[in-house]
Amino acid sequence: MNKNRKNSVINNADRGAPRPKRQSRRQFLIKTGGVLAAGTFGAVPLRGWAADPINIGALYPTTGSMAQIGVGCVAAAKLAVEMVNEAGGIKSLGGAKLNLIISDVQSDTTVTRTETDRLITGNKLSAIHGCYASALTLIASEVAERAKVPLITGSSSDQLNKGRTYTFTPFARASQFAKAQLQMAKLGNEQAKVAVIFENTAFGTSTSNGLKELAPGEGVEIVMFEPYSAGFTDAAPLLNKVKASGANTLFSLSYLNDLILIVRTVRQIGLNIAINGGSGGFVMPDFYKNVGKPAEGLQGVAHWNHDVSDDAQKVNVEFKKRTGEFCFEYAGGLIAQTFMLVDALERAGSADPQKVREALSTLDVSSGYAAMAPGGKVKFGPDGKNVYGRPVGVQWQNADLASVFPKEDARAPLIKS
Amino acid sequence: MWETLAQAVINGLLIGGIYALVSIGVTLIFGVVKIVNFAQGEFVMIGMYISFFLSYQFGIDPIVSLLVSMPVLFVCGVLIQHFLIRRVLGPNDMPQIFLTFALSLLLLNLSLMLFTANYRTVHTWYSDEAFHLGGLYIPYAKLIAFVVAMGLSGVLWLFLHTTDMGKAMRAASQNKDVAMLMGINPNRVFCVALGVALALAGAAGSLLMPFYSAYPFVGQVFVLMAFVAVVLGTLGNVIGALIASLMMGVAESLGIQFVGADSGLIVVFAMLLLTLAFKPNGLGGGRAR
Repeated sequence: MNKNRKNSVINNADRGAPRPKRQSRRQFLIKTGGVLAAGTFGAVPLRGWAADPINIGALYPTTGSMAQIGVGCVAAAKLAVEMVNEAGGIKSLGGAKLNLIISDVQSDTTVTRTETDRLITGNKLSAIHGCYASALTLIASEVAERAKVPLITGSSSDQLNKGRTYTFTPFARASQFAKAQLQMAKLGNEQAKVAVIFENTAFGTSTSNGLKELAPGEGVEIVMFEPYSAGFTDAAPLLNKVKASGANTLFSLSYLNDLILIVRTVRQIGLNIAINGGSGGFVMPDFYKNVGKPAEGLQGVAHWNHDVSDDAQKVNVEFKKRTGEFCFEYAGGLIAQTFMLVDALERAGSADPQKVREALSTLDVSSGYAAMAPGGKVKFGPDGKNVYGRPVGVQWQNADLASVFPKEDARAPLIKS
Repeated sequence: MWETLAQAVINGLLIGGIYALVSIGVTLIFGVVKIVNFAQGEFVMIGMYISFFLSYQFGIDPIVSLLVSMPVLFVCGVLIQHFLIRRVLGPNDMPQIFLTFALSLLLLNLSLMLFTANYRTVHTWYSDEAFHLGGLYIPYAKLIAFVVAMGLSGVLWLFLHTTDMGKAMRAASQNKDVAMLMGINPNRVFCVALGVALALAGAAGSLLMPFYSAYPFVGQVFVLMAFVAVVLGTLGNVIGALIASLMMGVAESLGIQFVGADSGLIVVFAMLLLTLAFKPNGLGGGRAR
């Protein structure tokens, strides 16, 4: 019986396809073994009973337009679970192993809603992590709140901290990113004259408005503030305009393809300007592969980077071995999140989602894998926000992403353009 | 000020050359076969992937890989005409619209499956370099693309006006029934027209590769501009489509420069509406050439 169960766990982690079979097997176990055990032995925990695996839900888009990052997230989630299980599982629960149940939310908000629902009702989950893209996470978080299952996420939307009690965000919030970008601009040039170009979408408009509001307080002058239509054929006219504005720093709030075009065009024009590409696609290994040498010296912000701590570097080595790429922000962040869940499970001494939530709300770590975040400390406030959370400023240096800001997290000096 | 203006015009003309290759293909198919090819953008995408993989696997320069992408897509065009489009040519337009639309969806999803949604770029020594002239600059990659695009358009014009096949194509586009009476085999003419149009799309793809990323949806970006250019330059008129494409490139660039970076397309569409208001058949004045 035990062997059977173990097999089903592996099946699921690898493929997720034979799900109906696994579920029916579990139901069978619950109805027969479970009832029998409970009936015969009452509340006395059995050995095999106590070491029941702990189900952790993982919601990521592994197909559709967001699949590229989603697939990397799943690789990281599997690595994290293996690290925990190899180290002996959850000791306070008799060495119970983590069982990762992966669900593809297909880069689609409607699918996210139904998948989250299905994941929660079909499995006894202790916690969920996902979905990396804020638009999807907001939906998943709503469903998880209603079902009273804790959700921990690296998504940066500030909305995730409003009116929620089961949602935990251990990393920097969107509002903090703008401030960090402005401070980096000043670090690069005392008289920073910033041109802000942003795609005319919800993401571009909200982020750019944040920058505009904070700029005077940070002593940064914005000389150009221009929306553009995402998915253009040519970046030259837009950069012609940037050139005419006399800016010495460029903030580009763009998705990957537009940003690649912008960076290449800046080099063609021979424009000498410091570029801050923000987060998201910009801090992915793929960005450098696509842009090549012209990416050197480009700055961005991230909620996690692979050099923030010694533990992070260890994780990075392992991740690189598996995927061939360095551990990107969401991947590293969610490995840390898994260890935060482990810390909570250890202290809760139970797989019950409500108890895990209680334990998460009193989480306070400053060492180990759970604490590998910029700042090195995690403690959640009443709004589920890490009170120590802050973004890290990064720069592409020698084909690698180096942390350069703030001083406490910097592992390399900022190279001025 | 003058420098900014001149630079905006140069930027517009350069990208207009690429629009031209796509729109000439669309207009040629419409003029000769009388169908709207909604899948034209996907053939640009295929051209890009051909160049990408040739460069990635064998280190062949994207511009050189034109010599592969154009023939491959020519053959695709002939096959598509012979085995698919020929069967739906009839008095009813609906099956034709569905056919090319379905082809577009099929190619899009097939490439998503085969190539994934990742962006692919090619680096050449001229990718990030530009020719500087005073304060003006002309990126090499775009200049090469423009020159080759104009060259191909010229070759096409010569083909249409000097060769028997070209003349037969023009004849079929002016009046299919009379052309058939004169002994022209319409299916052969249609096959060549489809082949040439797709070869041009393939050329556009290869020429784009040194400065643009390939991804499955890339064709959609360009095909929208192509359709506008085809209408603006009179449906079926090759020279009209060429001139309209260049005008649109410049209008877009000037719009971005002087109206707003999110208004480039507004200027293009305003130009289209104004033209249609005064010349309902487009700039070519209703003559299909």
